[in-house]
This record gives sequence, structure tokens and C-alpha cells, in this order.
Amino acid sequence: MGSEKEGLSTAESLRKTRTYGQFRCHNPSCMGRLQPQPGVNHVKCPACGMEFRVAWIKPNFPRIRGPVWDVNQKLAEEAFERKMKEEKRDGVK
Amino acid sequence: MALNRKIAYIDLSTGKIEIKPIPLNIRRKFLGGRGLDAYLLYNHTEKGCDPLGPKNTLMVSGGILTATLASATARTHVMAKSPLGGMIGSANMGGFFAPELAWAGFHHLVIKGKADRPVYLWINNGKIEIRDARHLWGKTTTETQWAIREELGDDDIKCMVIGPAGENLVRFANVMTGIKNSGGRTGMGAVMGSKNLKAIAARGTMDIKIAHPKEALEYNKRFIDQITSAKVNQTQGTLGTPFIWGATNSWGGVRCRNFQYNQELYCDEIEPEAIDEVCTETIGPYHMAGCFACQVHCRAKYRIPTGPYAGAYDEGPEYTSQGAFCGEPDCRSMETLLTGNHLVDQWGMDNLETGSLISWAMELYELGILTDKETDGLDLRFGNDEALLEMVRRICFREGWLGDTLAEGGIIASERIGKDSFNYLIQVKGVSNLHSDERATPALALNVATASRGSDHLRSRPAIDLYHLPEEVLRKIYSTPVPYNGPLSSEHTEYIGKPWQVFWQENCYMAVDCLGICKYHTVFLGATLPNFEDWPKVLYYNTGLEFTPREIWDIAERCNMIERLFNLREGLTREDLVRGDMLNHRYFDEPTRRGAPDVVGRVIDREKFRKMIDEFYEYKGLDRNGVPKPETLKRLGLEDEPSHLL
Amino acid sequence: MEPMGKVLAIDHEKCTGCRLCEIVCSVFHDGVSNAARSRIKIVKWESEGVYIPISCQQCQDAPCKIICPVKAISRDEKLSRVMVDQNRCIGCRACVAVCPFGAMNFNVIDRKVFKCDLCDGDPQCVRFCEVKAVDYVPADRVSSSKKRAAAEKISTAQRQAVALEAESR
Repeated sequence: MGSEKEGLSTAESLRKTRTYGQFRCHNPSCMGRLQPQPGVNHVKCPACGMEFRVAWIKPNFPRIRGPVWDVNQKLAEEAFERKMKEEKRDGVK
Repeated sequence: MALNRKIAYIDLSTGKIEIKPIPLNIRRKFLGGRGLDAYLLYNHTEKGCDPLGPKNTLMVSGGILTATLASATARTHVMAKSPLGGMIGSANMGGFFAPELAWAGFHHLVIKGKADRPVYLWINNGKIEIRDARHLWGKTTTETQWAIREELGDDDIKCMVIGPAGENLVRFANVMTGIKNSGGRTGMGAVMGSKNLKAIAARGTMDIKIAHPKEALEYNKRFIDQITSAKVNQTQGTLGTPFIWGATNSWGGVRCRNFQYNQELYCDEIEPEAIDEVCTETIGPYHMAGCFACQVHCRAKYRIPTGPYAGAYDEGPEYTSQGAFCGEPDCRSMETLLTGNHLVDQWGMDNLETGSLISWAMELYELGILTDKETDGLDLRFGNDEALLEMVRRICFREGWLGDTLAEGGIIASERIGKDSFNYLIQVKGVSNLHSDERATPALALNVATASRGSDHLRSRPAIDLYHLPEEVLRKIYSTPVPYNGPLSSEHTEYIGKPWQVFWQENCYMAVDCLGICKYHTVFLGATLPNFEDWPKVLYYNTGLEFTPREIWDIAERCNMIERLFNLREGLTREDLVRGDMLNHRYFDEPTRRGAPDVVGRVIDREKFRKMIDEFYEYKGLDRNGVPKPETLKRLGLEDEPSHLL
Repeated sequence: MEPMGKVLAIDHEKCTGCRLCEIVCSVFHDGVSNAARSRIKIVKWESEGVYIPISCQQCQDAPCKIICPVKAISRDEKLSRVMVDQNRCIGCRACVAVCPFGAMNFNVIDRKVFKCDLCDGDPQCVRFCEVKAVDYVPADRVSSSKKRAAAEKISTAQRQAVALEAESR
């Protein structure tokens, strides 16, 4: 056990990868991180146009509270129609 | 010393109680908790026994680290053959029961037979007594606990109890301790009810010697620091598990209207921050509670502010209650959420299963498969809050045709309802899915399909798959302690690399269940939380036993395999829709319609899904039919099971 | 070191009821996990979600010290604590009877009393309590956080009153 005592485990070494003050857009293709201005309660993803309501766990610790319903629902409906058309054209993927 | 905690065999038919030590060689093979329970279940139940008959065996346990300094060593595990699906039944709960059981001298209870009248077990400093519980029959879960404390004259007694649902043999009745800690899944409360066992009360003041106290304290500090510094746990500590709702419902991973949609719209009223406001108003700014020795404190306290139960104190509601009383039935009221949560807590039934089955019935009602005749006039349309709560009551007390039918669980209910009702039932191995929708997440779909206790998110879910972590981070996590050189993908709509992640998580969750610690303290919701490399240290400092990370992995694999052996003995076949590793056809046929643009229009690809299962089976050492190869059993030292050594 | 020493400050509202303090206390002092050996105890009203940590207040005019017939209990001014001399204690439990907080405990194995010794200046319960329901603060600061909390309430009320007045104008 001796040699293990001082070294960092994988979990501990990953600690430095934690990013505070940011969250990720909920759209899988975006992957990019959004960094809302301190205190704001709304954010729009510049890449895909999804909009989210923002809540704060504490200062410098934002999280997505939920979608801006009307905006994201419209994006979802458009995406659904587009995909169904593509599917008819190309067959089920 | 943790290792001198005993196992007790209790036969409720004869009243005979036998107490034995747990041999070290068994410990080194199965550790404790769920793993050792699985070994005991495989050894102590006969093939094909009636889950609600006296021959079913009920296991109750703490992990090998229970009550020691490993952070959140709170978990109680309960296991038996499940009355819900006939496969392995297993439930795990937080609270304070298992540590008290350990201080009373026991790590494992094996309960057989059936008492001729309601009884409860009183376990105190090495002694076990079977006591009359006729006066407790009919009481709610909390009434029962307070009554036992008063009767025995000790406020520090911790109880594991059933409520009216367990007494009424509702096949998804749970076991409970405290206000809301529930061993919810697979109907363990019904098994207790079938044995006329109302409660197990424990109280102990026996030392558990810590092998290296100074080092244990210092390492525990470091361990806790790693756990509490994670963003995910800070969020949990503020909002409780409802915080998960924010993300999953936002991108489209929540079942709505049974399985018609993958997102509940305009549900601001039941969002985590809204729940937090109610807790703050009714309890105060500091309204979070913790389970035993846990610094995450994810359990919110609240009083119901409005409605017929206004003023009632409860805890939660958890993420699962949001799904059960809001997402799936498409209700959006805070009062319904808090009241529904309170009712299932008091009556002792699984919120997940309850909400899922009622939502299924709602879909059948809207389709005309169920009519006013079967519902006794109840308007069971989606979004009817009153009907939802009334149905909870009817199920618990088996009132009306539908209440009595749903109380039998989805499989039996679908046989009774007939027509094509089964096609709409979202279940695996007879157990309803969590309210999560896995059509956009193949890894999660593989997890629910293959989970040993039936559809389940706590058996093998690679939840961090949703975080889009860089591939090198994923590789760091998933290549320890066993090297993995295959593909890994940060994309959660992908199929590649996922079987390995599910396999790894399955072993990870089994390991924590054997140790007796909470999944919020390992790689479940947070990527940077302790896992295989960290556990040998807590094990060594607390118990003096030396293990390598690889040895813990091997133990977990062995314990998972013995669960599989049990399921195979009870008739598991790969693609069977009732007893298989298979998903409802809607996963493959009905595309998702809501959520993020990349999530809509998704189904699980049948062919790719099959390939994932093939690959997953390969990692587990199973053949194409899901049966372990002889060399796998040999490698895991299971070729002679059942060995009847304990 | 502060001339007045440090004291244990308990803010019961913050307690999450997890009882980690009880475990670290027994491990630190006795090398075992056993809540019954802990010097601090979380008393609970579970049906209401109320959790109150109870520990020795290290009283100035300690009743336990006054009543002890064999003078086994004394004050250690250096750490501002009340100590039990285990060699003198006869296990009569008179101190248990008079302690207004129930903070004096009786060890059923050694048949002697035991109590919080502030871990010789580094209380483990404080060290492990992430939410700071138990804290270890200089004696002159013991009420300052409560003062601030009360002042905040008053100032909020004041601001609301000013706003209301402005609105009604």
C-alpha cells in the first residue's frame, strides 16, 4: 500500500479538468461550452440557436434550468420535419 | 472489526435463528452487500419458487464498509426473487438502517419461511428476537417506525419497514427506512408482506474496530474532499436529485405520456429550482439532509404547502418522483408532485413503478383499450392530476378492477387487460423503466435492456456519456483497472465503444454495492469521483484487507455473473420480451419528436443494438445466447455454484 | 493564540443530520466506529426533519466540575475546556446527572464518564463538517455570525419598507 499512498488516482488527477462558470449546450452536436455572464437568467447558443433559462447554484456556478419552450420547441419541430423528409428520400438510417 | 460482523439465518415458519461468522474466503470472493446477497440468493432459493411464497428467501445486508470511514457507507441492500418479473429482485436504500444493523453485530440477514401472524424482528447487540406485530399491521411506514421506537423505548432504533402496499402484496411495494429512504425497485416490500414480516428494528452499540484509524481519518478527509468538490455533488447538495430533471428534460430524455414523447413541455412549476423554493418557504434556507456520514446531503425536506395534505412533512421529491407524477402522466402541478411523493412514501410503494404503470394505463384509456368500465368511471386521461393520485390509492389498497390489476405489476396486468396492451408497456424483465427515454442514447438503451434486475438506471448506466467528455478523459476512466484499447466516443447518440462503457459501469456499480457506499460517490453522475483505484485504500485503512483495483474489478464481475446465473436459472433468454435483454418495439419504431434538434427523429437501430449486445456479451464472457462460457465460470471461480458454503 | 481561547459553535439549522461527526469522534478517540462512543451526538426529531447536535459547552462554572466528589473534573484554561481525569473518576455519574445538556457520557465498557476534549485544539467534528453546523471559533466571535444574519434580515426589511413607501407615493 505504501507507494500508492502519496500518488493521485485517476479520479483525483481528473479533478483539474473541472470547469467552473460554464455549461454545455444541450444539443449533442454543439459540444461547445457556454459561459453565461454573471447573474444572467437567459442564454442563447451561438452555434445552434437553442435558448435556455439559466439558474445559479452560487455565484460563478450557473446551470441550465430549462429550455425557452417556444424557441426550442420550434427548433425541434423543424428538425423533426427535416429529418422525416430526409428519411423518406434516403430510407431509414 | 467490520470482518467479525455476522450473518443470521432466520426461519419465520419455525422461529429458528442461526448466527454464523462470514468466512474470510467468502469475503474475498464476494466482499459483502449486494454481491454476497446474490451469492446467498443463488444458494438459498429453489429454481422456480413462488416469489410470494414461503420458499422465497429475503436477504438484507450492509456492505463490507458499512458504518466505517469511507464516506456515505449508508446503504442497505435487500434481495430476493422478484414478484414483479420473476428475475432477480434487488433494492438499495440510503438512510441509517445498515450502519445500525452493523453496530448491532450483523452484516447479513437471510430470512426464510412465513410467520403465522404479523411479526417484526428486533435486533440488538448480537441478539435477534421475533416479536408480535399485529398491532402494527395497517400502519403507514412512518407510523410503524415511531410505534416501534415507543414500544421498545429507544429513539435511536432504526427500522426497515413496509407500509400498507407491502401488506397488500402490491408487487412493487417497497421497503423503507426513515421518512423517504426507499428500497424501491422489484417489490421487496411485497416479499416482506408475504412473509408477514412488517419490520426489522435494529439498535447497536458494538464497536467496529478500524484497522488503521489515523490513516483512515486522513484518507477519508481526502476522499470527501474529492467528492464534495465535484460540481455535480455541489448541485445535488443544493437541489437534490431533481437537478437531473433540468438537463434531461431540456434535451429530450424524459418519457412523457407513457412513451409518446421524450420531453414534458411547459413544466416550469415542477423544475428543481421551483421545488427548492417550496423547501425554503416551508422549512427554511437550510433544508437539505444527508444520509449516514454523507457530505453530499441530497435529500430535501419539505412540507406540502397546499391541498388535502397541506402541512404534511416529507422528504424529496426525487428525480424519480418528477418523472412518476409529472413527466410520464404529463401532469405539471407542484401539489401533485409533492402529494404523490408523500403518498408512496407513507404507503410504501415504488414511485417509479407506480407512475409508470398509471401512465401506461392512461395511454390504454386514451386508446380505448381500457374504458370507464375497467376504471370504474375514473377519467384516466393524461394530465388528470386527481385521477393520477386516486389511482395511486386504488393500487395500494387494491380497490376497483384496475387498482387490483395494476397492483399485480405490468406483466400480469397486461395479461388481464389483454388486447395489445403489452405492446405499450415500457418494461424490461417485468420491471418498468425509469421515466427516462433512451431512444437518443444507445448506451443508456443497452444499459436498461441488460440490467440484471430489469429495466434500471442504477445497474450499469454510463450517465457521464451525456457530458460530451473529451475522448482522452473517457479513456482515462474506462481503461482502469483493466486496459481497454477499443473505440470510445464522446457523442451520446453513437453506438461505438458503448458496450465497454456499460460493462465497466456494471462492474463499478456492483463494486460500490458490495462496499455499501452510495453511487453518488463514484463514477455515476460525476466523472471525477472515486472508483476502483481509490477503493483499495479505504478498504485497507478500515478493514486491514489488501486488494488491488483489479481484484475489486474481478469480484464485481463475479458478483454480476452470479446474478446472471440466477436469472438464467429462472428462464432468462436473450430476446424474450418478458424475460430477456430486450427493449419494447417502440424504441426501434417510434422516432423521438421533442428535445434538442439532434435528439429529435431518433430511434434505436435494431441491427446496431444487436451488435452492441453481442459485444457486451463478449466482454462478460457469455455466448451469443447470453449464457456464460465454461471458461468464464472457471475464470471467475463460479464453476461449482451453487456451492452451499454459507 | 487569542487570550479568550476558542469555543465550539453549533448552528443546528445547518446540520444535515448525517452523523459523520459521531463517527470521526469515535475513530479519533477510540480507534473504532461506534456512535455510542461519540462525544457529540445528533439528537433528531425525524418526523419533522429537525436535527440538533449536542456536545459539551465547556461551561465556565461547570456543574460537572462542581459536583464531582473526587475532583476528577477540572478546567484547562489553555484550551478553555473541561477535562475528566480518567485515573480519578470513580464512575459515579453524578456529573451525568447534573449536566444541563446531557453532554457527559458514560462508557459502559470502562464504566467511567467521558466528554468532548476538543481533540486537543483540532476538533475532528469541525474538520469533517462540510456545512459548518459545528465550528470552532474564537470566543469573542461566537455570536458575530448570528448578529450578521439578524442584521441582514433587518436591512432587507428596511429596504422593502423604503421601496413600498416609494411605490405608494
